[in-house]
Amino acid sequence: MKGFLNKQAPYIFIAPTLILLTLFSIVPILVALVISFTDMDLGGLANFNSISFIGFENYVEVLKDPVFMKAIYNTIFYVVIGVPLVILFSLAIALLINLGTSRIFKAFRVVYYLPSVTNIVAVAVVWNYLYNPTLGLFNYLLNLVGLPDVPWLTEPTIAKLSLILLALWKAVGLNMIIFIAALQGIPKSYYEAAQLDGANTWQQVTRITIPMLRFAIFFVSITTMIGWLQFFEEPFVMTQGGPLDGTLSVALFIYQNGFKFNNFGYAAAGSFVLFVCIIAITLVQLKLQKNESDMT
Amino acid sequence: MSTAMEGKKKDSRKQSSGAAFQWLSGIVLTIGGLFFLLPFFWMITSSFKPEGEIVQIPPTFWPESFTMHNFTYLFNNMKFDVYFKNTLIIVLFSYIGLLLNALAGFGFAKYDFKGRNALFVLVLATMMIPSQVTMIPVYLILNSLGLTNTMTGIVLPGLVGAFAIFLFRQFMSTIPTELLEATRLDGASEYRIFAQIVLPITKPILAVQAILTFIGGWNSFLWPLIIANDESLYTLSVGLSLLKGQYAANFGLQMAGATFMVVPVILLFTYFQKHIIENFSISGMK
Amino acid sequence: MKKTFAMITTVALTAGLLAGCGADNKNEGSTNTGNGGSANEKVTLNVWGMGEEAKTLPKLAEEFTKENPNITINVQALPWAQGHEKLLTAIASKKGPDVIQMGTSWIPEFAEAGALADLTPYIEQYEELNPENFYSGAVEAGKSGDKYVGSPWYVETRVLYYRTDLLKEVGYDAAPQTWEELSDAAQKLAARGEGKYGISIDPKEESLGFMFSRQNGAEWFTADGQPNFSDDKFVEAVEYINSFYQNGSAPKDLGLDIVPAFKEGILPIFISGPWMIKLIQDQAPEINDKWAIAVLPKKENNISLLGGSNLSIFEYSTNKDAAAKFIAFMSKPETQMKWMEHTSSLPAATAAWENDTLKNDPFYKVIGEQLNAAQPMPVIAEWTKINQSYLKHFEVIYRSNADVKKELEAFNEEAAKILK
Repeated sequence: MKGFLNKQAPYIFIAPTLILLTLFSIVPILVALVISFTDMDLGGLANFNSISFIGFENYVEVLKDPVFMKAIYNTIFYVVIGVPLVILFSLAIALLINLGTSRIFKAFRVVYYLPSVTNIVAVAVVWNYLYNPTLGLFNYLLNLVGLPDVPWLTEPTIAKLSLILLALWKAVGLNMIIFIAALQGIPKSYYEAAQLDGANTWQQVTRITIPMLRFAIFFVSITTMIGWLQFFEEPFVMTQGGPLDGTLSVALFIYQNGFKFNNFGYAAAGSFVLFVCIIAITLVQLKLQKNESDMT
Repeated sequence: MSTAMEGKKKDSRKQSSGAAFQWLSGIVLTIGGLFFLLPFFWMITSSFKPEGEIVQIPPTFWPESFTMHNFTYLFNNMKFDVYFKNTLIIVLFSYIGLLLNALAGFGFAKYDFKGRNALFVLVLATMMIPSQVTMIPVYLILNSLGLTNTMTGIVLPGLVGAFAIFLFRQFMSTIPTELLEATRLDGASEYRIFAQIVLPITKPILAVQAILTFIGGWNSFLWPLIIANDESLYTLSVGLSLLKGQYAANFGLQMAGATFMVVPVILLFTYFQKHIIENFSISGMK
Repeated sequence: MKKTFAMITTVALTAGLLAGCGADNKNEGSTNTGNGGSANEKVTLNVWGMGEEAKTLPKLAEEFTKENPNITINVQALPWAQGHEKLLTAIASKKGPDVIQMGTSWIPEFAEAGALADLTPYIEQYEELNPENFYSGAVEAGKSGDKYVGSPWYVETRVLYYRTDLLKEVGYDAAPQTWEELSDAAQKLAARGEGKYGISIDPKEESLGFMFSRQNGAEWFTADGQPNFSDDKFVEAVEYINSFYQNGSAPKDLGLDIVPAFKEGILPIFISGPWMIKLIQDQAPEINDKWAIAVLPKKENNISLLGGSNLSIFEYSTNKDAAAKFIAFMSKPETQMKWMEHTSSLPAATAAWENDTLKNDPFYKVIGEQLNAAQPMPVIAEWTKINQSYLKHFEVIYRSNADVKKELEAFNEEAAKILK
């Protein structure tokens, strides 16, 4: 018996999680897949008999929808600018904190981490104030140094950048912690050896730290990428997608169609377009990672 | 142990990282930190302002008429004890989920079994599902299991998560296989290996995950509201969201509520980062 | 690949059906348990109320339980912002409340989905529910087709808030009476100087365009039910609203909350609902004798928007009789007056307005007057979508001063598509 249990160990390790994930993620997404081929609305939710299958109509419609296209464009904008910034900032801050020797550097961990744990309602209220065109702190500071006001949330492109800034503020802490945990995992002996060879800090960082962080960087870039492709909370609480749909993300588009307008079929079709895109992008990333690790 | 290591760290870095570098990075981090703290500072000071002062033009930096009204109102009008208890239950349950995630991460990282890659891709795929689309199906499933309006129904769907499994797998892959083999040769079962070798090595990530889990449970909001048909199952976040009126924003109350919810997280995090990440940073890794 | 897809679809279908069946079975099971509330059976009614105000509901429920000892009321408060999601899931599972507070704008979609029970049979049983007791607009909002699904509970309507002192400075001893006067007053007020404006027109408030167009005599639908939003009357109204932005008397992006801006005189006029009275009194007591409210200025008429909340019985409730009894209790003018004391929501029952508290109060008097000229938005499920579409086109208009007629034609086309 014990031998059997031992042999089956990997399956027993993963079984509970897989069962739960199947029940609460895989099955629901399959149900949603079915819904995406129907005209389900609020009436359909109340009475399943009134739902009818309409084939690919939702998909054809959603891909023709200029608002959806705008949402895709915005989401790509968020990802292309947001993801590298998050990785860069969280890695840089983690490195600086880790290299610091004074006690104060430990306090910085808490400081940079705080935004990640702050209630989103408070975040929205505070940042709306910072971006406020009349009383906002940001415009006040700009005026102090003689610069004109910036339309933080009222010009479509700038509004996107403003939301990225906010998301960056919120996201850096979590990824920084992951990097710090990974940095702590690098054996000290490596540095000691390098120091004996006369390597300076910069060389130690580029030759030892960064390569040793490959796993962490890979992890952070994949999860950050996925997170930004599903960018939702910031436009939801700050702009509701405006101005002129300038900050509307695909996830927010799905939410609005599903829960505001009760077009469940249409929203489900939109989410599958997003889902497929995320899978494709992640597969490319995984492939790149594999090639890289083959080389090294 | 902490101080010993502290000393060692200092010694080994002294030659390479000069005082100038330390100062520079300190200054950079301070400036960035001020920017990071600013919204936060604003939240806390606002929670002590009366509503009229919060919306005043120009805004006041420090509360002119300091008031505890927002906090007393919160405690008098919300069943904080009930919400608090529910939130804690959710957090406790999610720690069971944390263990399950760690187990699964280990399974994927260090064993070669049939269908491993396919299953792992499946797990990753669940991370890519936009949560907006699964909410109603999940609700229907729980409903057909008779789990609506129960604590189980609130806890179960979020118990495990691909993000955590992925993180565990990623870091457990870096554990040298020889270390596990050696233990195996000593006659240890796979379960003992996990408990006695793997878990201790993974402590930095466990700490990260523990914090994440806590925050997730602490802020859990939409799902408890959807599942609960009874206010006795509401969490703190749900309770706070009741404060926002249809027309009036009640900023002061919301700020007080948010402040109240963030303080325990700060305490917890300060504790964790002091005692776990540092002390166990490299034990077991050669 | 093809095979896997087929398999996945089958699994999905089965899962969907299973989930569906589960829900159906539940429903059947529970409807058979009979309808409580009759005679001496003990019943617990689940009441879903919205927001913080629902926290006060148990106080009224207590009195109800005193009269009806075998009916216990269990109130659940839902946050306004998430109430919609919560109701969706309740419909999906066919489990949830017995009595729901419905914001008037939600009624059409939920009624059309068959989630709200018809109250017609109970009207004969309970005199309190008689539609004649309430403001006709509020009754209109509770109708869906030939069904009557929401009994009026409290109402709100939009009125004009203005700073008496500042208007006097520019020559207005009373509130502007007509569109022309409003425009003129706003421009004069804006001319006071840099950083001062005449009026606040919230571009995100979807009802404004429709409200103004109705005042201009626009018919929203043609005789055969087609949308008519690019009609000259409608265009004229939107051009009128847009003129405030374009001539600088209304700010596009000021980012100030209305109460402090009102207090500082930056925005001396705005249009809003009765809830602002208390907010201004609380947050800006300094200007207590320097502001007033008035009925809206008129063009062809001065019909305002009528909103508020109605009470409905959830279609899947098993205690409909007891639920009707509770709603009848809540509809009594006395109860509605008490509710107003607790939450400052205005009674929907006209008899309550005969009460001295309402009759003699200068603010409530105006609102009572406006209520006589107040109508809800059309009671159709698609209205939310049409609203959103309007807002988007209006954003293009006021931001880039686009051609109003052209934008509204595009809007009208979209509306026709939504309605088909």
